Amino acid sequence: MTQDLAPPHSLLPRDLVDATADDRYFDYCLEPYRPRRPTAGKARAESLLWHSLRVAGQLDAWRAPLAAVQTHVGRDLTVWGVKWAGPEAPATDALWWELYFYDPQKRSPEATIDAVGRALRPFLELRPQIAETTPYMMFSFDLRRGTTAISELNLYLTGQRAHAGRAYRARPDGIELDNTYRFMEPKREIDEVLPLLRSSVFVDYAVDRRRLGQVLIPELFACKKVCIAHKRTCDAIYFSGITVEQLLWFLRRFCYPAAMVDFVDRHQARFEHLWFDVGIDYRWDHARDALAFPKTSFYGTL
Amino acid sequence: MQSYKGRFEPTRFEDLTVTVDFHCHSACRFCIVQEGMNRYRGVPWELYTRAVDDNRHQRRYRRVTFTGGEVTLEPRLFEYIDYARRSGSFEHIRLQTNGRRLADPAFARRLVDAGVDEYFVSLHGHDAATQDHISQRKGSFDEAIAGLRNLADLRGRADLRGRTDHDVCLMTNTVLTTLNVPTLAALVDTVRPFSPTRMEWWNYLPMEDYADERDLLAPMETLVPSLREALTRAQAYGIETAVKYVPRCLLGEHAACQDNTQPDVVIVEEFYDKYPKFACLYEAKCEHSEACLGLHHPYISKFGWEDDRLRPYRRTTPWHEPEYGPRVGSDRPGEGSAEIIEPSRWTALVEGVAPRHGAMLEEVIVQRRACVFRFSLAERDTERDTDPGTAPKIDPNAAHRHVASVDVVLEARDDRKPALVRSRSFNLYYRNIQNIHDLRPAPDAKARLSALVEDAVRTVVERDPGGMLLDRRKGLTGPQALRRQPRSRSTPKPTPEPTPEPPTTGSG
Repeated sequence: MTQDLAPPHSLLPRDLVDATADDRYFDYCLEPYRPRRPTAGKARAESLLWHSLRVAGQLDAWRAPLAAVQTHVGRDLTVWGVKWAGPEAPATDALWWELYFYDPQKRSPEATIDAVGRALRPFLELRPQIAETTPYMMFSFDLRRGTTAISELNLYLTGQRAHAGRAYRARPDGIELDNTYRFMEPKREIDEVLPLLRSSVFVDYAVDRRRLGQVLIPELFACKKVCIAHKRTCDAIYFSGITVEQLLWFLRRFCYPAAMVDFVDRHQARFEHLWFDVGIDYRWDHARDALAFPKTSFYGTL
Repeated sequence: MQSYKGRFEPTRFEDLTVTVDFHCHSACRFCIVQEGMNRYRGVPWELYTRAVDDNRHQRRYRRVTFTGGEVTLEPRLFEYIDYARRSGSFEHIRLQTNGRRLADPAFARRLVDAGVDEYFVSLHGHDAATQDHISQRKGSFDEAIAGLRNLADLRGRADLRGRTDHDVCLMTNTVLTTLNVPTLAALVDTVRPFSPTRMEWWNYLPMEDYADERDLLAPMETLVPSLREALTRAQAYGIETAVKYVPRCLLGEHAACQDNTQPDVVIVEEFYDKYPKFACLYEAKCEHSEACLGLHHPYISKFGWEDDRLRPYRRTTPWHEPEYGPRVGSDRPGEGSAEIIEPSRWTALVEGVAPRHGAMLEEVIVQRRACVFRFSLAERDTERDTDPGTAPKIDPNAAHRHVASVDVVLEARDDRKPALVRSRSFNLYYRNIQNIHDLRPAPDAKARLSALVEDAVRTVVERDPGGMLLDRRKGLTGPQALRRQPRSRSTPKPTPEPTPEPPTTGSG
């Protein structure tokens, strides 16, 4: 499928953005963390975003809008996700991106839907109209090859517990529930992780106990938090707070484009100060009698 | 968070294991150094002798073990042994071997005479058919058995110098795979006539074949009953047993046999990069999670987490993610969790620092890559008593309620790596600040921790005499540690390949 992706030899290390003393470090929930290593000589996580865009031949298309977002919201305060539909997906649709804007306390006027919409207006339109009185703590939208307007927004709402919530999909013609999710510490809260994971209509764990090991992946289990989401057509698990070594394992495991794997591999030492987050959508494919992964993703901040 | 389960670490610093060049005349199907065979170099003589010389003064190691590769194929083996024996600094000299060359009585006798008093012999099958199939060498079973017999016969006999005071300690090592799991108890009977002191059972670790395409991984469902039967039989014969890489909770009445400790192995660093990582769903719940590794990733990928089979022992102490690796232990009988080696030497580096700051030195964690001083800062006797200029006192009750802690970490000095400061032997930095916001009332907690860290690192710099070592393996990295690779067999040859014959039949 990779015939439409840029060849590896054309991908130079110019996508590496140097870390600075002013950088702040946040996970994909915009929770701050201490860097794992001294940051001198390291690269910013956004390097991986730029590089993925280059691999997909989309860097020129998205550089200016993303730079506008970064300037408007503030450095380090926008979460990005690189999404991958897998090597069997059509090349033109295999990679896409999602941007996430957090304002749980409603104290960041620059991170509202209105404000981000204004910042992006020179480049594309955010079509869904959402009242700012809606108690969303975060919103997000996808960027794909050829996107000229955003017609879907994802709104994330929490209830009493900040570590659990619901996501809604908002279109100009209406809003619908998209998924529910919950964050947990994988080891300390294992007694809650397992039942929630097994509570699924997409994977029958009782049929084969080995399936649990394919979802709760041991290589990623050593993480700070897991998030379990129940979506409309699949389930998902997110591993938060993993090292660059684990990220590299993840990229290889899910067959990301060779150029992206190679980029992380070659510059691994420059990313070792960061914690990364990854996500895996999964469901049982009865035709193939195997677990299917319609989408995987990894995250950083811009 | 990453824990030590994500990484193999030596935990017995009383044992120094020295690897010789990696060659072998067997080809065991499960070999964990298969990829390194004929490629990894052994420990350079200079590094080895330096370690032995050092031990003469420091008495850090009680035992030196020679392994490889097949150690008995090493041309300089007796030089290595002689150097260790003449140093007089080791209580035991051990050989880890497949035992085949010991079938030669003269060779076995020469080893005993040279001072090797412990023999750790690999035997993976209870009979010739099983063992020879596993080793892929016909006759290997008969040779190993002859070797064991020769060693047993040498027990108590006078050596060439007329000494009879040294004994021959026999141990066996069996790697548990699908190839031998059904017959483990029979293997106990096979070796019983040689009166082994100890039988070790190591569950198979895939080093390259993580997907287990060779089908060697045995599921716990079949492995555990067979292993427990073997352990029971060995116990009945009075043979000590040890089990590695099988979850403790599955061993039943033999749980105490679990021993995942590893010696301080001097080997090409690359070896450890390939070592499988471990995990257990119940790590945070189990009393023994600090010593039990759980299951390795390839096993979990193939057979699942065994979440219904594992039974965590109820914890009696709070669980903390063990970030720095397992503590240094000992295999001295009856001292399974012995103190670290030379604890006073490490503690002395920061002696007196904590009281100056109303703090406690909670732990000294010595492991291969780091020495960690964990300081905790108690709530002052409140701001109730304090005379300016006097050291704050610790309220032990408050210490449980409101404690901030910080780790001051010492790693081997490397001027290329960032560090807060460097002493003669170490790079120093701090990390893992905990609960600083819980210290109430503590408007100055951050300042107190800063002062504590500053004092600690300054004190280490002043006291470090230089030459303090955490790791013997320095130097066994890079190209010098590896042999040049033979040219690929796929290199084009000048002669053209024969043209394949066209198929005689075909359906398109």
